[in-house]
Amino acid sequence: MSAQVPADLSEATVHQIAERRDEPDWLRETRLKALKAMDRLEMPDVINTPGRRWTDLDQLDFGELADPLNQSDDTERVTDEGVEVLSFTEAMVEYPELLEENFGSVIDPETNYLTALSVALFTTGTFVYVPEGVDAEDVTIRTDMNSRSLFSHTLVVTEDSSSVTILERIDTGDEAVEGERYYSNLVEVDAGENSYVQYGSLQTLDRDTYNVTLKRGDADVYATIDWIEGNLGSRLTRSDIETELNGDSSESQIVGAFFAHEDQHFDVNARVWHEAEHTTADLVTRGVLDDTARSVYEGVQDVGRDAWDTNSYQRENTLMLSDDSEADASPKLIINNHDTEASHSATVGQVDQEDLLYLTSRSISERDARNMLVEGFFVPVFEEIAVDELREDLQSRIRARLRE
Amino acid sequence: MSSNEDLKDTNTEARFEFKKKERSSFQAEKGLTEETIRVISEDKGEPEWMLKRRLRALEHFQEMPMPTDWPGQPDLSEVDVDEIVPYIRPDVETRESVDDWTDLPDDIKDTFDKLGIPEAEKNALSGVGAQYESEVVYQNMQEQWEEKGVIFCNMDEAVREHEDLVREHFMTKCVPPSDNKFAALHGAIWSGGSFVYVPEDTVVEMPVQAYFRMNSEGMGQFEHTLIIAEEGSEVHYIEGCSAPKYSAFNLHSGGVEVFVGEDAHVQYSTVQNWSKNTYNLNTKRALVEADGRMEWISGSMGSKATMLYPASILKGRGASDNHITIAFAGEGQNIDTGAKVYHNAPETKSTIESKSISKDGGRTNYRGLVHIADGASDSSTAVECDALMFDNESTSDTMPYMEINESKVDVAHEATVGKIGDEDIFYLQSRGLDDDDAKQMIVSGFIEPLTEELPIEYAVELNRLVELEMEGSLG
Repeated sequence: MSAQVPADLSEATVHQIAERRDEPDWLRETRLKALKAMDRLEMPDVINTPGRRWTDLDQLDFGELADPLNQSDDTERVTDEGVEVLSFTEAMVEYPELLEENFGSVIDPETNYLTALSVALFTTGTFVYVPEGVDAEDVTIRTDMNSRSLFSHTLVVTEDSSSVTILERIDTGDEAVEGERYYSNLVEVDAGENSYVQYGSLQTLDRDTYNVTLKRGDADVYATIDWIEGNLGSRLTRSDIETELNGDSSESQIVGAFFAHEDQHFDVNARVWHEAEHTTADLVTRGVLDDTARSVYEGVQDVGRDAWDTNSYQRENTLMLSDDSEADASPKLIINNHDTEASHSATVGQVDQEDLLYLTSRSISERDARNMLVEGFFVPVFEEIAVDELREDLQSRIRARLRE
Repeated sequence: MSSNEDLKDTNTEARFEFKKKERSSFQAEKGLTEETIRVISEDKGEPEWMLKRRLRALEHFQEMPMPTDWPGQPDLSEVDVDEIVPYIRPDVETRESVDDWTDLPDDIKDTFDKLGIPEAEKNALSGVGAQYESEVVYQNMQEQWEEKGVIFCNMDEAVREHEDLVREHFMTKCVPPSDNKFAALHGAIWSGGSFVYVPEDTVVEMPVQAYFRMNSEGMGQFEHTLIIAEEGSEVHYIEGCSAPKYSAFNLHSGGVEVFVGEDAHVQYSTVQNWSKNTYNLNTKRALVEADGRMEWISGSMGSKATMLYPASILKGRGASDNHITIAFAGEGQNIDTGAKVYHNAPETKSTIESKSISKDGGRTNYRGLVHIADGASDSSTAVECDALMFDNESTSDTMPYMEINESKVDVAHEATVGKIGDEDIFYLQSRGLDDDDAKQMIVSGFIEPLTEELPIEYAVELNRLVELEMEGSLG
């Protein structure tokens, strides 16, 4: 490992975190195991093509970025009738068995160096539990980050035939400490039979923050997991959204939107594994780049040997507003069962010159015309976002950035 | 070949799979050492600079790691260069290649007769070169082209006769030996291959062809092809290759360098049908000047594992590239192929059309890279990959990479995977075709974009090969 180790990273630190939070032994052991594994774990895979590494995560200097003993938990949780939305410390009291059984069941803490680091050090935790037959709409998890580093873990468990819509907002708080910061978030979704989970996220961290998130869902028979991921903030974002379709007839949609400007670097990834019969996946991502911003996109549709009758689609479109920006994309198909209908497409281009000419000939200023076209570019993504609040929020954020 | 009918009569299986008694006048020791390289170089009477290049390439080869960390790449653990006979000179009477088929020893002549090369030469080609093992044994160019200054000879001869041209272009700007481990290996022990030179504003109307045949067990073939098309010229080069099946593995690691001058047009077509124990690890690249046009057309049928990504570097304004590739992987085969295009100048264009078929546990992968450099404004690229799968044992992957550093561009990538349509088969069966014929017809339709671009002889040969693959009767 060439990454810098956090100054306070030691067993003592982990014990101290566990003690402060009065954690049960199993969680302490899980943290210590993750800490130990860091010695041999690698950074998350990044794309390499001849002569280049698309995102160099080894440059993250945890000596500077991490301050594990001074994390501030400013998380607001709003719940709906019948759903439990609890901090981990509350959940440890109320649902000790459910927590123990499901923690780490979807994301292996030893997936990579950064997941292990996050499990070892997290202090913000949210447990969402939707009992059988409950339908819930308005669950909100709002995190304001004020400390140098914040490690967060969210666990969602839905029982049979339930449904839930969760909105997550990640922002930099008003009292944030000066200098560069690191935000890490792991989200595990265990979707029970015939349940429906919609998880929307909007990230607007400030330009001093390095942001690494991994969200992964496990869909049981007839379950649906839909992800919506909006990335606007941070200095560097590495975001992975993944669904394992492990149950027959399960489905997943991953909708992504990003808008990077100045020198922002976004590495966004959408992956789906078809492991059962009659599963369906749809991956839709649109991104805009301005100034010297850079985007890296990887989409993977992996169809397993036993995934008969698979339907899998992927679209990725990038709009470049500046010659100094860079867009890299790799949409991958890995197909091991021939009873599959799969397609992917990716495009990169600039604002359509004819559209621009048309609008300016209608006496709209060039700047306004361009902004209208950029907003229009996101429409196919907005259309996929069923949650009004998230869609409007994302839309107004994009509008605000265009006015800058 | 005078007509399609003739080709239909030819038993393609017999054409490719027959073996000959191994014959050679010189056979290098197994493995790769400085000593072997010095022997090869001396045996070929090479100038000092070529020996130096070989030895430098050997250094690169020894320093570079095996490519093993690509996602989903073929397994190369069996490829042990120490087990390969890197150089075999067949015992042809004369050191120079001959220009009359009848001057070849009977069994070698017989080999090429069976492959149909002399027939094709008479009917459809401007010139033919034929390589047996490591050396070109036959070379002929029609007089009308020679008079115009077109050169078509084997590479060993080119090093002697056209030293300046070769010295300037051979593994310097286009494929340096440092490019990858197998380019380095090739640079160290290359032997045979073709040299094509087309002077300014000369159009070679009929294709020139080279055919490479590996006959001995456990050998490596490392032919080098160097094509230089000067400003405003045009040439179509066709390469064919085959080897019979042996129990030990064979290694084919060729190198192809193409220089497309300003406003010139080069088409490079190949249908490779190496036997199914061959590792086909090639490096092919074209440098394309302003308004030049490069076309790569390739069918990959044979081999145990292929790693081949023909590349075009579009370095002049308005340069363009077309790639048409088809891969067919049957039982035990892993065909990892695709295309690379570097758009390094404004107004450059590329299209990549890739088709793959996998069957009986075969594995195909499209692995491609499109790079648009900063400043390559008004460039466009369109990549289309379609995969057809026959059964649940097979695997088909698509791994395109796109690096876009310029906003005034138009980049599109599309890929689809599907099984053979049950409805299509049902329709054809209802018209009286049996299941196999129906599938065969669907596959022929699927690969049509490729066959359309090939000269008729090759199109027929390709269709015939596909047909045999479908019947499972090859290899």
